[in-house]
Amino acid sequence: MLNLLVAFVTGLTTGGLSCLAVQGGLLASSLAGQIEADVQKMTVPSRKRRRDLRKPGASRSQLAAPILAFLVAKLAAYTLLGFLLGWVGQMFQLSPVTRAILQIAVGIFMLGSGLRILNVHPIFRYFAFEPPAFLRRKLRKAAADGSPSSLSAPLFLGFMTVLIPCGVTQAMMAVALGTGNPLQAAALMFAFTLGTSPVFFAVSYFATQLGKKLERNFARAVAVVILVLAILTIDSGITLAGSPVSLSRWASGIFGSPANAQAAPNGFALGGANADQGDGTIVTVTVKNTSYEPAIIHAKAGVPVTLRMVSKNVRSCSLALIIPALDLFEILDPTGVREIAIPPQEAGTRMPYSCSMGMYSGMIVFDR
Amino acid sequence: MATKVTLKIAGMECPNCSLNLERIEDKLKGVVFAEASYRKQQMVVEYDDAVLTLEQIKAEVKRLGYKVAGVV
Repeated sequence: MLNLLVAFVTGLTTGGLSCLAVQGGLLASSLAGQIEADVQKMTVPSRKRRRDLRKPGASRSQLAAPILAFLVAKLAAYTLLGFLLGWVGQMFQLSPVTRAILQIAVGIFMLGSGLRILNVHPIFRYFAFEPPAFLRRKLRKAAADGSPSSLSAPLFLGFMTVLIPCGVTQAMMAVALGTGNPLQAAALMFAFTLGTSPVFFAVSYFATQLGKKLERNFARAVAVVILVLAILTIDSGITLAGSPVSLSRWASGIFGSPANAQAAPNGFALGGANADQGDGTIVTVTVKNTSYEPAIIHAKAGVPVTLRMVSKNVRSCSLALIIPALDLFEILDPTGVREIAIPPQEAGTRMPYSCSMGMYSGMIVFDR
Repeated sequence: MATKVTLKIAGMECPNCSLNLERIEDKLKGVVFAEASYRKQQMVVEYDDAVLTLEQIKAEVKRLGYKVAGVV
């Protein structure tokens, strides 16, 4: 849910404007056809009338429908794209390590995109997808030739914008790929594209032009956002790979629950037959929406240990549990207790685990 | 007669700028073919020099929000 909100806000604040430059150009071409057709429809148009129609804002109410059609088609196309990306990502979901590699690759792509927008070096231009020439030609022709009176041209163009994603969209697509879940990825792209729509609509409707300077400053802000997202994504990948050192683990350590250094408290009221033994052979972790508590739990070394994951009304990706050392990936129930058997571990072993996106993490330390 | 030039373009800041630039093909009568590349920051234009001059092409590129930085 939090992810979707972040995607929506990213779309609202940075996505809309940065996608306007070209996608807006296509829409404008198709709207120009619409206005022209309106002019031609007048049987004996007076000069003044003709002039009025050409003024920006003339027949504006008639522009709302094609703009909306364009945006709805765009929303549908990107949601579908999100689904496909999530599906592709899911195929990569062979093991926690593959997922980690995918996540880190996604992060590097985003890092390259951010540096590209900042124009750091021409080499970063390779971190962007440039639609092939024949596709660009097809899109241009569609914008110019589309039947102006019908909504089919804006609908078609809106759908086709999927072929010309802008920088922020490409970054969001990379995140969608990294979710490895078609529905989650579709929801993410839907939220993002929905976020871009109000700005897109407003600017197209009022035919506002952004100043070149404003555009440049804006692009820099976008690049910074992408760079931050890139670092977080790479960090998620590192966490997923089971590295004991990562930003999110450091954050869990600093901001985690006060019970961090303690063994789990005894006697969870929730469901499970086996309460913690107190000797570290059964340890309990509470799965929350944004964390695992306690973040560090101590278990007995040299003997089989049961890890009990207790969840209650949890709705986040913390339910998708990954323990790289055990090559384990399990989806926990929103409410319930899942017992995981851990074979004997040597004293001093640290076993990191995290959610499947590497956002939330915890660690089992075998030292009791 | 058809003339082919490769123009160095300044101001292409996004991969989709090529689509924007190639609109020159629809906007200027006499342009037979236009293909831009964001990675190379270039645009190849083939035009009928009986109809159009290079200066007119440069002016159109400027109108589209870019600048011709030179001829390759």
